[in-house]
Amino acid sequence: MNQNVKRMMVVLVFLLLGFFLTGCGFKDIDKRLFVVSVAIDPVKENPKRVLVSLKFAVPIVEKISNESFIISQEGDTIAEAVRLMKSRVDKEIDFSHAKLIVYHEDVLKDEIEPNLYYWFIRRRDFQEMSWVAIGRPTALEVLKAKPKSERLPSNSLFLALGRDGTETAYIIPEYLFDFKKRFGEKGLDPLLPIIETKKDLFDINKVALLDKKKLKLELTPKETMLLNLFLTESPKTALKIADGENSFIIDTRAVKTKYKLITENQKDPHIKVDIHVNGRVEEAQFNVRNKDLKQYEKTANKDLEKKVHAVLKKIQEANVDPIGFGLRYRGRHMEKDDWKTWQRLYPELKFIINVNTNISDTGLVE
Amino acid sequence: MNRYFLYLVLLNMLTNVIIFVPKFLLQYRFDGMLISIIIAIGVGMALMYVDSLVFARFPGQGFPDIIQDQLNKPLKTIILVTFALFWFIAGLLTLLGYIDILHRFINPELSKAWLIAIFLLILCFVIQIPTKKVMYLLEIILFINVPFIVFIFFKAVTSEYLSWDSIFEAGTHFYSMPNISAVAVASYVFSGYTNIIIFNRLFKVKLKGVNFLIIFGLSILTLFTSVMVPIGMHGVDKVSEYIYPWILMVDSLRLPYSPIERALFIFLMLYINITVISVAVHWHVAFELMKGTFSRGKGKKKNRIVLALFFTIPILLVIRIDYMQPELLSVYWLIARMFFEILAVLGFFFFLKRRKV
Repeated sequence: MNQNVKRMMVVLVFLLLGFFLTGCGFKDIDKRLFVVSVAIDPVKENPKRVLVSLKFAVPIVEKISNESFIISQEGDTIAEAVRLMKSRVDKEIDFSHAKLIVYHEDVLKDEIEPNLYYWFIRRRDFQEMSWVAIGRPTALEVLKAKPKSERLPSNSLFLALGRDGTETAYIIPEYLFDFKKRFGEKGLDPLLPIIETKKDLFDINKVALLDKKKLKLELTPKETMLLNLFLTESPKTALKIADGENSFIIDTRAVKTKYKLITENQKDPHIKVDIHVNGRVEEAQFNVRNKDLKQYEKTANKDLEKKVHAVLKKIQEANVDPIGFGLRYRGRHMEKDDWKTWQRLYPELKFIINVNTNISDTGLVE
Repeated sequence: MNRYFLYLVLLNMLTNVIIFVPKFLLQYRFDGMLISIIIAIGVGMALMYVDSLVFARFPGQGFPDIIQDQLNKPLKTIILVTFALFWFIAGLLTLLGYIDILHRFINPELSKAWLIAIFLLILCFVIQIPTKKVMYLLEIILFINVPFIVFIFFKAVTSEYLSWDSIFEAGTHFYSMPNISAVAVASYVFSGYTNIIIFNRLFKVKLKGVNFLIIFGLSILTLFTSVMVPIGMHGVDKVSEYIYPWILMVDSLRLPYSPIERALFIFLMLYINITVISVAVHWHVAFELMKGTFSRGKGKKKNRIVLALFFTIPILLVIRIDYMQPELLSVYWLIARMFFEILAVLGFFFFLKRRKV
């Protein structure tokens, strides 16, 4: 009997514990507004102030799932603007689903105010793996765009940046934590993809390179793709190879990029880059033959070497380091002042690029 | 039983990431963190080996049982209460650390006092069940949770955003003077073995050497992942800005094909179990030590008083803890703990070894 009572008590305690399992804290899901993306624009009249816009998903509409609205608010800081915004909506603003932060270029053109990214890191509800990007013409315009294929608010951008949907080497996604890391890490500089909007369509094929303070360089789509060979493991892409007047295109299946810093002999410090490309011919302006593959490979090697070299030179001339050569140097040298040596070394370094292309066939036709 | 010893040590290795061990070690990443870790591995292994040797002479007996008839009562009480206090604080700091994380990431609206009260309800129930059952519970919880935790570790190590060059950069600062407090903090991952003072009641056979080999391997893995993975993820230069380097590291993992995309919440759920059982093990030891001070037959009432203390002290503390710098307190305790451990193990070695069983 006594035993039974004890058991009942235990069961009762566990049942009572069930009351704590209400899920959403003290505000239920119908009393929350979910932010999906954030835009930060400058204010023209006062460069110190920012215009913060939040895009809210509206979940309850039945037939149109892609329903959303945007609220913009000026403020001295993001935190202030968001607090002011709270008085303009009826529900609790919830940032836990905010996965995209878009900056206007002008915010980054002069020195970027660190709080513009620290605020997101400091808040517990922002995901570390939100994406950051530059929006064009303005950050707000990116939030406003609604592609036809989009089923949930901002979801098309999430799919594109997260490589869950489209997979392309022209997009270099950047996560918030990585963005912040690159600001702090000596020898690894931040970069941001640029999202351009035109009439409900997106174009994410450029990348902006920053040094520790501001925007330095913008790469063209082709350069972006070549830079991505260094940043992503085996990106899927198509490489256009110029062969005199003609050209052909290689559909890559695997690209492996390795680099080595050879700086010890002071005469000729250089970075040795090895790129292995595996692929097949996808398109050509002339008749391609399977027996001539060796020759096409040679042409491809030469052409790619030239193009990659040009991109690396351009990046070097802007004195930015998105690939992390400097960090590699620091990680391989024991001296305390290795960073200073590197800063002296980097602008004069040469690049020796070695491309090794393997073309398996010419596709289904010769 | 051999594997039970392994579980006890493994438990502390798992909890180290929530009681500020990585945070503290990362402050020394340029000034002898690695060398301190290596020294800590040596110290920890040595202490563990000596301690297990001493207790192997008393198979099936806990510390209170051993000194039951050896010492006079006041001395015995003082020793046991001091030990109990240390174990109580060990559990308390883990609990407070985790409550803080839960409060920040899962339920910021609920007050900490309520949050801890829920934990305490379960804990007070668990710590008074027999030692053997606590061990079974530990085994079950480890079996359920460790595979998932290993999965998250694996995802972190294979992440594309883990920059190995940052890790190597930390490695190039290997040759620096070791730091005594870093050694003390790093040796925490071994201190699971100290629970043997009560759990020795379950150990009837001698420990095999292979256990120490496994622990040695695991400790290297644990210590290096708990500092190196945050360095790789957040960069070597600014990683110490974060208060919870590990939690934020896990938040930086994206699991696109799992039911929850944000790995953080899976990790926090797993660590609820690990924390509860870790605190339960520590407090069970503390509770049993307190029990050892009571004379036979009069225990029941006193047990309840002890349980009431276990319930109220954390609640009173949690209300004030935010203003007492919990990180600093944990670190002081972690350092004090190592010296206490050395004293205790040496004490066991010289006083218990001589006595015939």
